[in-house]
Amino acid sequence: MEENIIELKNVEKYFGTLHVLNNINLSVKRGEVVVIIGPSGSGKSTLCRTVNRLETIDSGEIFIDGELMPEEGQELARIRSEVGMVFQSFNLFAHMTILDNVTLAPRTVRKIPKAQAEKEAMELLKRVGIESQAGKVPAQLSGGQQQRAAIARALAMHPKAMLFDEPTSALDPEMINEVLDAMAELARDGMTMMIVTHEMNFARRVADRVIFMDQGQIIEESTPDKFFDAPGTKRARDFLSSIRTQ
Amino acid sequence: MSLATLLEQYGEEYLIALLTTWKLTAIAFSAAFVIGILVTVMRVSPVKPLRVFAEIYVQIFRNISGAALLILLVYALPYLNMMFSYFTCVIIATTLIPSAFCSEYLMSGINTIDVGQIEAARALGLNFTELVRSIVIPQALRSSVIPLTNLLVSTMLTTALASQVPMDPRELTGLVSHINTHAVGGVVAFFVSAFLYCITAVVIGQVGLRIDRRVRILR
Ligand SMILES: Nc1ncnc2c1ncn2[C@@H]1O[C@H](COP(=O)(O)OP(=O)(O)OP(=O)(O)O)[C@@H](O)[C@H]1O
Ligand SMILES: [Mg+2]
Repeated sequence: MEENIIELKNVEKYFGTLHVLNNINLSVKRGEVVVIIGPSGSGKSTLCRTVNRLETIDSGEIFIDGELMPEEGQELARIRSEVGMVFQSFNLFAHMTILDNVTLAPRTVRKIPKAQAEKEAMELLKRVGIESQAGKVPAQLSGGQQQRAAIARALAMHPKAMLFDEPTSALDPEMINEVLDAMAELARDGMTMMIVTHEMNFARRVADRVIFMDQGQIIEESTPDKFFDAPGTKRARDFLSSIRTQ
Repeated sequence: MSLATLLEQYGEEYLIALLTTWKLTAIAFSAAFVIGILVTVMRVSPVKPLRVFAEIYVQIFRNISGAALLILLVYALPYLNMMFSYFTCVIIATTLIPSAFCSEYLMSGINTIDVGQIEAARALGLNFTELVRSIVIPQALRSSVIPLTNLLVSTMLTTALASQVPMDPRELTGLVSHINTHAVGGVVAFFVSAFLYCITAVVIGQVGLRIDRRVRILR
């Protein structure tokens, strides 16, 4: 078994002339929770989306559980299905019930029989506390409920790792904790996670490792306690003081 | 001619004509719907030649006049050793044009889909076919019920093209022409057909509204 579930080697990406990912080398070990923080526009979302190739890259390699991710094709789809992703804007399928949202990929991609997929889906919805919402469509749920449904949808594929891109940024304050709690529970259960977030208390509590990004580069990598108490770089210090004074 | 004498003399023919109009409409619209979906899938496919072909297809049939297309089918195809019955020619003409519009409506339906949902489906490992079948086409259809209802009505009106060829049995417009060349049906003969078109259109419209209300995507 490979120790690194996610591994990026020398990844470079440009948006036109903007060097949005600059020589990124990064790995996330099995069961590890890595939190990525950094100022707006530093490339955190791009990095997150690059892991399952929702963004193309200009050079470098991406490995999931030791397998090189191809640029396209069925093999890419298969590896993607093993990495769960949760977006800032939930992105639930608007025309389907919550239950169908969760069972769609297991049924179409993994060919799991309907009854079994629904049974598992209900267990997952229960785990994130929204089993009573299974028959509703996304627009009938609160933001926090939608995001928990999105987490259940990703978990239904039994992913080897989960990517979160600012999962609570679009939520009203009173709903943030219900989503963070679901994520913390996942972390406790040993899920490998890569999380982009601005929730510093959560990061400190849940992360095994913090990565600080700025202008497309990884500037600093350390344990949460060390990062938040004694950041090693001026840029990280400036960033932390700027968000603390907010 | 009074309405009473007209109906007495031609009542049964009107009934046959109405059924013929309905039959032409049903066949043409069903075919146009299937072709419209296929063409739309081609237009969003990752295969460039398919996209180009589908784009050209839509441009041609969206912009050709129905009469011109029918004349082409009836008079030009025999030169290519293809002989079709008048009925078939009418069906083909009234299928191809609505199929292009069907695709246009589905494309604007697709444009309402949030790109985030496409990315979420991709991230779950759905391939193009699965994505199109489970997300893209279902959402496009649900948001195009009203335009597609209107397309069904306009397909019905397009079947009046059949009056330009000696198709047997006649549909509603063909019957009016027939009555007016063989008797003095006058404007009354026309009104009877118009009334039958109208009633059908109203029913289609109501059914469309109901379907729309049921399947509309809450946002
Ligand atoms: N599709 C795109 N085309 C061109 N530039 C882009 C695109 N997406 C992002 N960018 C630019 O790339 C840079 C990094 O964007 P990214 O979204 O990764 O930042 P981020 O760290 O996630 O920021 P935030 O905290 O605001 O979400 C930004 O300058 C952004 O404007
Ligand atoms: Mg971002």
